[in-house]
Amino acid sequence: MKHIDAAGHTRGESQYVDDMPQPVGMLHAAVFTSPVAHGRIISLNLEEAVRCDGVITVLSAKDIPGENQIGALIPDELLLAEHEVHFVGEPVALVLAKSYEQAHRAVAKIQVEIDELPVVTDPRQAFESGAIIGPARTFALGDVDTAWQECAVVVDGQCEIGGQEHLYLETQRCRAIPLEDGVLRLYSSTQSPYAVQKAAARVLGVAHHKIEVDVKRLGGGFGGKEDQATAWSCLTALAAHCTGKAVELVLPRHQDMICTGKRHPYSADFRIGLNQAGKILAYDVKHYQNAGAAADLSPAVLERTLFHSTNAYFIPNVRIFGASCRTNLPPNTAFRGFGGPQGMFVIESAIAKAAEKMNKPREQIQRLNLLRDGDTFPYGQHLDDVRAERTWDEAAQSFDLNKIKQATKTYNDDHFESKKGYAVMPICFGISFTATFLNQAGALVHVYTDGSVSVSTGGIEMGQGLVTNIARIAARAFGISEKRIKVESTNTTRVANMSPSAASATTDLNGHATILAAGQITDRLKSFAANELGLTDKSRLTIVHEKLLDGNRETGWDWQKLVQTAYLNRIDLSAHGFYATPGVWFDKQKEKGNPFAYHVYGAAVFEVTLDCLRGTYEIDSAKIVHDLGRPINKLVDIGQVEGGLAQGLGWMTLEELSFDEQGRFLSNSLASYKVPDAYFMPDDLQVKFLQNVDNPAGPYGAKAVGEPPLMYGIGVFFAIRAAMRAFRPDSDLTFDAPMTPERVLLGLHEQEREVLVTKI
Amino acid sequence: MNTQIEISVKINGKQYSAAAEPRLLLSDFLRHELGLTGTHVGCEHGVCGACTVLLNGEAVRSCLMFAVQADGQDLLTVEGLAAANGDLHPLQAAFREAHALQCGFCTPGFLMSLLPFLQDKPDASEEEIRAALSGNLCRCTGYQNIVKAVKMLLEESNSDPA
Repeated sequence: MKHIDAAGHTRGESQYVDDMPQPVGMLHAAVFTSPVAHGRIISLNLEEAVRCDGVITVLSAKDIPGENQIGALIPDELLLAEHEVHFVGEPVALVLAKSYEQAHRAVAKIQVEIDELPVVTDPRQAFESGAIIGPARTFALGDVDTAWQECAVVVDGQCEIGGQEHLYLETQRCRAIPLEDGVLRLYSSTQSPYAVQKAAARVLGVAHHKIEVDVKRLGGGFGGKEDQATAWSCLTALAAHCTGKAVELVLPRHQDMICTGKRHPYSADFRIGLNQAGKILAYDVKHYQNAGAAADLSPAVLERTLFHSTNAYFIPNVRIFGASCRTNLPPNTAFRGFGGPQGMFVIESAIAKAAEKMNKPREQIQRLNLLRDGDTFPYGQHLDDVRAERTWDEAAQSFDLNKIKQATKTYNDDHFESKKGYAVMPICFGISFTATFLNQAGALVHVYTDGSVSVSTGGIEMGQGLVTNIARIAARAFGISEKRIKVESTNTTRVANMSPSAASATTDLNGHATILAAGQITDRLKSFAANELGLTDKSRLTIVHEKLLDGNRETGWDWQKLVQTAYLNRIDLSAHGFYATPGVWFDKQKEKGNPFAYHVYGAAVFEVTLDCLRGTYEIDSAKIVHDLGRPINKLVDIGQVEGGLAQGLGWMTLEELSFDEQGRFLSNSLASYKVPDAYFMPDDLQVKFLQNVDNPAGPYGAKAVGEPPLMYGIGVFFAIRAAMRAFRPDSDLTFDAPMTPERVLLGLHEQEREVLVTKI
Repeated sequence: MNTQIEISVKINGKQYSAAAEPRLLLSDFLRHELGLTGTHVGCEHGVCGACTVLLNGEAVRSCLMFAVQADGQDLLTVEGLAAANGDLHPLQAAFREAHALQCGFCTPGFLMSLLPFLQDKPDASEEEIRAALSGNLCRCTGYQNIVKAVKMLLEESNSDPA
């Protein structure tokens, strides 16, 4: 089955928020935001803006009828600034005008006087001053402090990990339509309709049922619209509420990049201890997360950093500390991997540094310490059905790791100014929301009398193929053709209280809910048919390829007849299915539990070629063995693996967020922020799926696929590093990401650094 | 500022006449004045290629052109790709077959950039395909399947005796 929207997408007919015909008299909104990163607002002058051509009104905090608060986890984020501003790009006022251009011209006329306060952009500085969000957290296993004595080698180090701009191609946007009786319908580009609904109701001081949120699809999300779509949707709702008109807010790219939070930069300290054989005995890590100016999802992101701090390795003595540090950057947020990638980067750095000190191949230490059945994670979850060694070994064999090693050595012996490097990157990623209550989903399924089926779930289609997956799951659950299934927009009036489409779990949760809803309807149909056909055992009835079978025997009834006859006999052809992931829990007091339904495993091998004079590099190959369980749709899943990898590679290499000391975002357009293009991708990219594997926790045995492949990208950092060390074996390279060509060049020519820096 | 200039443009074979402010972008003209919303705007400064349309057969970024510059010209947008009977253009069909799309936002721009390239280079190598694609950004797919779609299409048309 192809992507269900393929024809619409290629014809340009698929509608995004602002592609729908505009309601008559619709207003356009533009946001005025803080030009400074920290300060007290002395005065806000809107008069000139109000007088501009086409302007209807300019709204500020005093126009908010309900609570000026949109913080979901912690109430620390105002919708519109009141007395203080905390980051460049914080919304202060909202212009409403007859046209988009008029609204933006008027924004330029708003004047704000701000008494500037000290700006903090460094998470360690924030931590030292006590500016942390939520409690600092520590996961522990064994006894780290005494374990060091048993270690033959102990290595310390530090990592500086850069953030990442989501760069969804469709910027943040929302359209609000006032309906009767004070109801607002919001067409929002959000991964979390319920978050928008809750926040908009809070801001307007109305009940949740007065806000309807409808989402057909997103032009990309990647986590950037999980919580960060909320502010813009609430502003649009406020505008529609205040004017009684339809209002549309579309963020210009430049503003989207400046105002919205990104993947969190982290600063980390590690200490790792190993025995002579390379077995890791102890690992101690401290993560300082740069949360930005408000909590957003940062504490949850930090939690996942702690969960994935030992990646795919078993370490008997572990202490993992983390703190969300409040700085004057835009509130950082969810981004594919959700803190996991940063945790994994640090353990991979620690292993690399230990391997260098012990003069062992890095992959030897990695392989030796991979998770096995019966191991325990630092957070208490016991492991079974571990596929860490299996994916590693399959990758090492099918991609011939030994040959890669040998070829790399030969190449490096023969070349001076060009070096090759390789690296293996294993991943282990837990599937489920770590906030247990979010692991629930609903689906509303209708069967019409012509046999066609409508499915509504709480999941959002953002390109990942959810709708294609749900259609396939629904067809399979009913035993009918996929052509009969239509997956509806995601709407809060059809499915209530939905969790965000996040944590890779959207198909899992909503797929299960769809199966349960379809099961209720087929159960009723079978009871009815058994009665009609005079059968005593309805459990013998199945629907296969739209035919009703009694055991293997045809009954003469097909889907169409079954549905029509059932309708005439007043059988309910609609059902609501509800799924709650069984067995997941976590005790935050003890920092132990069973937070994940299962884990996804995989291993990737990378080869790079480095130009040691220029610092530039080519990714020669990326070869992956990935565990999908029994995939629902291989075509869709391979797209997720390749797309996730591309983002991981970008994060580790090209994509550099640059802020100045005043908290201003410098790489604020696509001209200054580089993302992978078709040329950048590896020349040889291969993805193999683990064969003959099941996953009892997934719908029809599938495993989630959205986030884990991003973390393969970490491997390219270490492949580049290996090539750098081939050129400068004695150099003391840092663990700072991304590994931009500039950073490579400075690392290779540390001795000439001063000359280079002045010349660059 | 509010001067309106009458322009006349042929788009997808159909003649349109409309008034446009001198500084109205072609992309906004297409989307807002004519309702041709298949052309998407991604970066607004000519980097991402999502807004690519054909101007007299050449790929141009409609976010870098004023509508008035298109006066008297011949445009093709994504809406004009499929056949009159609704059949997908072979390039569109190849994107569907190869799963060369995910969120779909960048897709129209890729198609419009590729159309003149494929006419010029019916025997393009993978290197040339990647070079042709490098002016369009996709954040979802990792590009593999887009390259695959183009290769598939070229193989098909090269093996086609017609």
